Amino acid sequence: MDPLTGTLSAIVGATHVIARPSELIVYENDGLPGYHKLPRLFVAPGNREEAIAVVRALAASNAPFVARGAGTGLSAGSLADGIVMVGMQRMRRIIELDPVARFATVEPGVVNANLTKAAAPHGLHYAPDPSSQTACTIGGNVAENAGGPHCLKYGVTMNHILAATVVLPDGEVVRLEAPRDDEIGIDLLGAFVGSEGCFGIAVDVTVKLTPNPARICTMLADFMTVDGAAEAVSAIIAAGIVPAALELIDAGTIAAVEASIYAAGYPTDAAAALIVEVDGPIAGLDEDVAAVGRICRAAGARTVRSATDAAERARLWQGRKKAFGAMGRMSPNLVVQDAVVPRTKLAPVLRAIAEISARYRVTVCNVFHAGDGNLHPNIPYNASDPDEAARVHEACDEIMALCIAEGGTITGEHGVGLDKLPYMDALFTPDSLDAMCRLRSAFDPARRANPGKVVPIHRCKEWLAAPGVEA
Amino acid sequence: MTARPASTDELATLVRDAHARGAALRFEGSGRWSDGRSPATRISPNAKRVSLAALSGVVSYVPNDFTLTVRAGTTLAELDAITAPNNQWCPLLSWGDDHGTVGATFATATAGPCSEALGRPRDIALGLEFVDGTGTVIRAGGHVVKNVAGFDLTRLMVGSFGSLGAITEVSVRLRARPTADVTWSVTADGPNAREQLSRIRRGTITPLACDVLSDEVARELGVPALSALVRFGGNAALIAAARAEVSTIGTIHVLDASVWTRYRSLDPHPRRLDARPLDGAVAGRIKERFDPAGIMNPGVFGERA
Repeated sequence: MDPLTGTLSAIVGATHVIARPSELIVYENDGLPGYHKLPRLFVAPGNREEAIAVVRALAASNAPFVARGAGTGLSAGSLADGIVMVGMQRMRRIIELDPVARFATVEPGVVNANLTKAAAPHGLHYAPDPSSQTACTIGGNVAENAGGPHCLKYGVTMNHILAATVVLPDGEVVRLEAPRDDEIGIDLLGAFVGSEGCFGIAVDVTVKLTPNPARICTMLADFMTVDGAAEAVSAIIAAGIVPAALELIDAGTIAAVEASIYAAGYPTDAAAALIVEVDGPIAGLDEDVAAVGRICRAAGARTVRSATDAAERARLWQGRKKAFGAMGRMSPNLVVQDAVVPRTKLAPVLRAIAEISARYRVTVCNVFHAGDGNLHPNIPYNASDPDEAARVHEACDEIMALCIAEGGTITGEHGVGLDKLPYMDALFTPDSLDAMCRLRSAFDPARRANPGKVVPIHRCKEWLAAPGVEA
Repeated sequence: MTARPASTDELATLVRDAHARGAALRFEGSGRWSDGRSPATRISPNAKRVSLAALSGVVSYVPNDFTLTVRAGTTLAELDAITAPNNQWCPLLSWGDDHGTVGATFATATAGPCSEALGRPRDIALGLEFVDGTGTVIRAGGHVVKNVAGFDLTRLMVGSFGSLGAITEVSVRLRARPTADVTWSVTADGPNAREQLSRIRRGTITPLACDVLSDEVARELGVPALSALVRFGGNAALIAAARAEVSTIGTIHVLDASVWTRYRSLDPHPRRLDARPLDGAVAGRIKERFDPAGIMNPGVFGERA
C-alpha cells in the first residue's frame, strides 16, 4: 500500500482518500478532451485544518501534488500525473457574507453560482461568470483567473478578489491581501490569482459582491457578414457604451444550437449574431439600448431584437450558454479553444481561422466574448480517430500562432495548464519565462505544486542549475 | 550626478554594471516622490540616482483597440493629451500632479479619487516591460485586454516601488470618455452632514468619485464647509437622474472639472506613505530572486539596505 494512504487517511478519514486505480480514473481528466493522467492518490480535506495538515504531510514526505476544484478546467491544468491530487470540493462553506460592506469569505470549494445564490436576497451577486458557473468552484476560478461573458463590464476574477489565506507548498500559512491605497507593498495577492495551482492552495478567499443592476436589456442583432458583426462590436465600445456582455455567435454555432433542444430562435441564414446586454440604473438605459440598435443597423444588422423580461432574455442567452452542449451532439468530443486578439483584428482573424479549418478539414464553431477580443474557436471531433485528432491538434497550433502574430495571446481565461505549454516559447522571451520561474520558486522553492505546468521547464535557469537536474 | 538612460538597453547595461559591483540605485521619474514623508526617503543615501524621464513617448496606440503602450517617463499630462483627440482616457487620475510619470504611477500603484469606479493601477495595467536587478529585460503580460498566459509579473511589479525592477514601458487599458462628465460640490448641513454626503457613493447611480471633504481641504478648494466633491459620468438621462437624486441630499454647485487637478495635488492626500515590510518568506524570496544584489531602491520597504 502507498505509505501516504495511511498518513492522509489519519488526517481526513479513510473515506476521503482514494488509492485504487479503478476509482482514481474519475480524476484522470478535466473538461478538455485528449489528456488523461492517473493520480497516485486522491485526498479531499473537509476543512481548513485538514487542508493545512494534508499539505504539511505532503511537504514532510516531499510529495508533489495538484489541487483540483470541480475539474471543469479547459487546459488540462489540474491533471496529476502519478502524483497526489488534493480535491477541494468538500470545502464548500460560505464563512461570512457581509451585505453592507459587500464582501463574502468562502471556502475554495464553494460553487460560483451558489455564491451568487447566497448573495441574491441582499440584491448582490458575484460578478465573474464562467460558462461552467453552475459547477466550477471559487478556488478553481482564483487559480485560473477565470473570466466569463460579463467580465467585459465587471472585470475578471482578479478584479474581484480582496484577500486569500493560502497554505504554501511547504506548509506555511500566509494571508494575502492587496496593499491598501495608502501603503506600498508587493501585491502577492495579484501574483497569486491566476497562478494555476503552482503557488499554493487557498483555504479561504474573500471576494467582492456586486450590486445587481436595476435593469437589464438583452439584444440580439444578426448580420449577413462576420465583418459587419465585428465592426458593430468596435463601434459600440467606441461610442462609450460599456455593455455588460457583448458576444459573437457565428453561423456554425447558430446551426448547432438551432438543430439542438437549445434552439433559441437565432436566424439560421445569418453569418453571425451578436448578443449585446446593457445593464445599470433605469435612468439612461433606454438611450444606450437605442444607441446600440442604431450602431448595429449602421454596421449592417438585418434585425435587432431586444428583451427586457427575464423569460425572453433567458431565451436569447440560452443558445449562447448552451452552445457547447449543442456542439456536443455533433461529435463525441469538443475542444473549447481560448485565445485573445486585439478587437480590431477580429474580422481578419476569423477569416484566417475559417481558412485554417478548411485546410485541415475540421469544423470550427466560433462563439466568444467579442467585446474583449476573447476568441473561443470550438472544434467538435472524434478523439478516437487518430487522423482527425492529429488534424485538430495541428489546426489548434496554427490558430495559436495566428493569434500571437496578430498581437494577441494564447489564453484569455482558461489558463496554460498542459495544453498551452508548447506555445509559451512563441509568446514570451526566454528571459521573461525565466522571470516567471523565479516568481514561482519564491512561492514554491521545492517545485512540488502542480509541477510541469504553465512554464516550460527548460526555461527555468534556477531549476536547471540545481544539482541532479538534467536539461 | 543623475544617470539618464535614453533606452531600455542603456538602462539594462547600467543595471548590469551596478549589479556586478553591488552598487545601489535609486530610480525616479519626475522626482514627485522626493518630499520628506515619501518612502523614497528610506532609500540608502549612497544610491546612485537614475532618472527614467528620458524614456518617454508612445510605443503603440490603436485607438479602436482601446489599448496604449507608452514608455515609463511619459507624464500623466502627456498620456491625457495622447488619448484626448480620440475621446478616450486612461482614467488613472492619480493623487499627485499631472507631471508625474506613468512609470512612477504604476511602480507606486498610486490610486486616485476615481479609482473605486474606474480601476486602480493594478486593474488598468495590461502588461509592462522592466529591467530587473540583474539587468535583464523582462516583458510581462501583453497588449490585449484579457490575458492569463503565464504567471502574473505585471501585478508583481505594480506597486513594488522599484524594489524588484525598473519599469520601462507600460501597456494600459483605455476607456471612452463619458458623453457627459459633471463635477459638483454637494453641501449638506446638520450634525449628520458628512454621513449623509457619503451616501451619494451608494446611490442608485454610482458616481465616478465622491469624496467628503475635510474643512481644511474645502477651504483650499474654495467650496463651502460640509461638502462632498462629486463626479458623475454617463449619458444625459443618467446625469439628470443623478442630479435629481443628489439634490435630495444636499445643495449642488456645478464646478469646473479642473477642480480635480487641484484636489489631487493637495497635501495631505492618501498617497502611499507607509510600506508593508518585506517580512514574509515569499516577499523576501521574491526580492532575492529579482534583485539578488539588493541594489534596486534598497531600503524602500524598511529592509536593511
